[in-house]
Parts: sequence; C-alpha cells; structure tokens
Amino acid sequence: MAGKLFSRRRDGRIEVRLNDVGRAAIREVFAHVLAAEREPEHEWHLSLNAPINPSSDDDDPLSSLARQNEIASNAELSIMTLNEQYLNDAEGWAWLSTLQVALRSTAVVNGLLSDEKLEACAPELLDDIRTMQQFLFELAACF
Amino acid sequence: MPSAQPLRFSSTESDVESEVAVITERPWNVIVWNDPVTPMTVVVVIFKRIFGYSNNKCTDLMLTVHHEGRAVVWSGQRERAESYCVKLQVAGLQATVERDA
Repeated sequence: MAGKLFSRRRDGRIEVRLNDVGRAAIREVFAHVLAAEREPEHEWHLSLNAPINPSSDDDDPLSSLARQNEIASNAELSIMTLNEQYLNDAEGWAWLSTLQVALRSTAVVNGLLSDEKLEACAPELLDDIRTMQQFLFELAACF
Repeated sequence: MPSAQPLRFSSTESDVESEVAVITERPWNVIVWNDPVTPMTVVVVIFKRIFGYSNNKCTDLMLTVHHEGRAVVWSGQRERAESYCVKLQVAGLQATVERDA
C-alpha cells in the first residue's frame, strides 16, 4: 500500500510527501484559483462569487470583499509554500481550502451537480477530480 | 337583504382585554448545500474548524447535507450568519444564508 501523501507529526507540523509530479499538479490547481479570483473572465470566477444571501438583490459588499481577500490570500499562501516539506497548521488549512475551492469550481463549471453527471463526465475530467479528492481526503485526515 | 343584526358587539371597558404582543426577530440560518464531489471527511473537518462543533455533531450535519441536500448548520444574528457563510465559502463549500421560515 502506498504511503500517505500528508502526515501530521507530533510537533504539529504537516509533512508533505508529494513527489514532483504531485507538487506540479497541485501548483496548477492553486494557480488556477488565484487567477480566477483576480481575473473576472476566468471560467472559475463566477463560482468563486456565488451569492451569500440569494433572497437579496445584492450581497453586502464588505462580505463579498472579505471572501475575495480570504480566497486569494489562501491561494497565495499555498503557492508560497508549495515546495515546503513541512506545513504549519495555517498553511495546511490554506492548502485544504484552496484545493476544495478548486474541486468545487471544477464541478460547477462543468455542470457536475449530481452523482450521475459526475460518473458520466469525460474520463480525463473525472481523473482530475479524483486526484483532487485524493489530495483532500488525505489532507483532511491531518485536521 | 342586509341583516338587521348589529355587525359588532358593543363592549364595555371591562370586557376589553389588552394583549402585549412580543415580536421576536426570526433568526438567520446558514445553509450548506450538497454537491457530488466534496469528500465527506472534508465537510466534517470544515464544520469542526469553523464552528468548533463536536465530531458527532459535525458528522450528523454532514450526513444531513448528504441525504437531504442541505442542512442548517448555524442560526442567529444576520451579521454572524453572513460571516460564517463567507468562511464556509472560503473553505470551498456551497453555503448561503436565509431567514428562518
């Protein structure tokens, strides 16, 4: 059985055991999230700006701005720590949040809103999703 | 033909009861919606991190989301509800706020 990709050590740090291929895959995901937050034309941009209160015509601009800043700063922190062997708790949480944002954005822009649609999607896309799920599953075990 | 009966009863002061209406503001709910891609353990971890709930409560809420399509994960003041909603969205979950019915 393959070893864990992420492991919480006794000193509280999270050890990252990804090889170069794994880190390259994650780098691409993090870069997409950061680009989506900054570029309104990015295909993920709308999914990052979902309504907070759908019954209202407009969300509170301060809440929207807080969300935008936090998603971007999580993605930035994740990119800055991409080559680290050990992450502290906040860095690990930024990785988890950014990966999860990427996973859900991928599902939303591809219309994968049900189990049936997910199973019927293109194999390459399903492969990308399964890879992100695996990263998330293992990283979540550290929290 | 209109009835000859009076349309309302006459009353005296002693018959009138006064009522004090207590209007309580309806709380705002934070709703988390199901999606087919998010691993269950990730949902539990996010609830635990954001709300500090017990493992059991987080698991129950996650299962409610999974089986019923949505769950109310927090209720209270509007500002706090929106703040929690933003935290959930930042963590990548689909969350909204709505006023309690």
